[in-house]
Amino acid sequence: MGTAGYLRCVAMFRLQGSKVLAVDMTGDAVKAKNGSMVAYDGQMAFKKMSGGGEGLRGMVTRRLTGEQMTVMEVKGHGTCWFADRASEINLVNLQGDKLYVESSNLLATDAGLRTGTSFTGMRGASQGNGLFTTTVEGHGQAAIMSDGPAVVLRVSSQYPLTVDPGAYVAHQGNLRQSFQSGVTFRTLMGEGGGEAFQIRFEGDGLVYVQPSERNTIAGDV
Amino acid sequence: MGFREINSRMVEATVVPGQKLFSQRGAMLAYKGDVSFTPNMAGGQGGIMSMIGRRVANEDTPLMAVEGSGTVLFGHGGHHVQVINLSGDTLCVEADRLLAFEGTLQQGTMFLGSQGGVMGMVRGQISGQGLFTTTLKGHGAVAVMAHGGVFEIPITPQRPVHVDPQAYVAHHGDVRNKLSTALGWRDMVGRGSGEAFQLELSGSGAVYVQASEEKL
Repeated sequence: MGTAGYLRCVAMFRLQGSKVLAVDMTGDAVKAKNGSMVAYDGQMAFKKMSGGGEGLRGMVTRRLTGEQMTVMEVKGHGTCWFADRASEINLVNLQGDKLYVESSNLLATDAGLRTGTSFTGMRGASQGNGLFTTTVEGHGQAAIMSDGPAVVLRVSSQYPLTVDPGAYVAHQGNLRQSFQSGVTFRTLMGEGGGEAFQIRFEGDGLVYVQPSERNTIAGDV
Repeated sequence: MGFREINSRMVEATVVPGQKLFSQRGAMLAYKGDVSFTPNMAGGQGGIMSMIGRRVANEDTPLMAVEGSGTVLFGHGGHHVQVINLSGDTLCVEADRLLAFEGTLQQGTMFLGSQGGVMGMVRGQISGQGLFTTTLKGHGAVAVMAHGGVFEIPITPQRPVHVDPQAYVAHHGDVRNKLSTALGWRDMVGRGSGEAFQLELSGSGAVYVQASEEKL
């Protein structure tokens, strides 16, 4: 790649079936969830990293937020296959925008993408995932996992979207999120419909929703 | 003969008189026609010596012999089923992953220590395979279970393949496997990447890998 400076070495992400991610690498690196490699050929080296940003600041953030995804850096020549507990895998293309995803749902990213942590407030708590979430930013590909095949829902300014916190997987684009609660007198009496809390997305972007609900506080009331 | 895949978790086998099938006990879902299921105390083929061998090797999954004429549906525990057709080569698979196989195949047990001596035994312990593994040889079809989908990676002499021991399902062909370690000081201080041990398969053949790191 020495002659053409603009031609970057980028790991090729492709899906093999719906549950296995194959990455073709030529000397470049990807970041993947710890222990998610199932097979490889060629030469690969695995090194542990820590999510939530780089450097000392990242370390402090990780300690404080509990959003410490254990990531490994995979580098080498050949093909590497990743899978995790037979979860469905979705490929996401990032062109300079930001992807918000729960660290437990993130399988792999291009090494060129920056990962960080952001505060989610009430929304995070309602998902049963804590108050913080992982962000992925830059140009490249990322693979996210869902329990069952995820649907991608587009949100535009005319069409806001409301999702169940337990079924939310990730979102990208320029979205504002707000927390909605439908708690009424009936809910307090234990007669709720099981849909007391929702997340509302407004703006312009994409939301990934899985056909399954995590156990959340919201699901119980 | 052979197995037809009804969907990803169910296979259908046709039974004709004179041709036996073996399947894991309790794996029959439904059948049509006149089919009998007899529990096989010996846990497979061979005489009393093979039976003792399997008991000792802890590779004695309860099997039943399926005979008669008709069609039988097999499936177990909602696991994914992969059909592998053998034409003269040997398949190595853990006994508890075997769903069903044709009687034309020769069943045996292999001592892992015979491949690579002490390292072979260590490998068996680490990958959870134990010291022995089941081999099937000859011409016929085998239905193997796995958690999640299964995919096949070809192995050629120029292209050895490394597999996570937990995701390994089976392999066939003329393949040598050895345990390769990537243990570094990072693993000693608890900063490992979770990929310290890998099975290195080289030779010519194919390896089947599941999309999950969970055992059955």
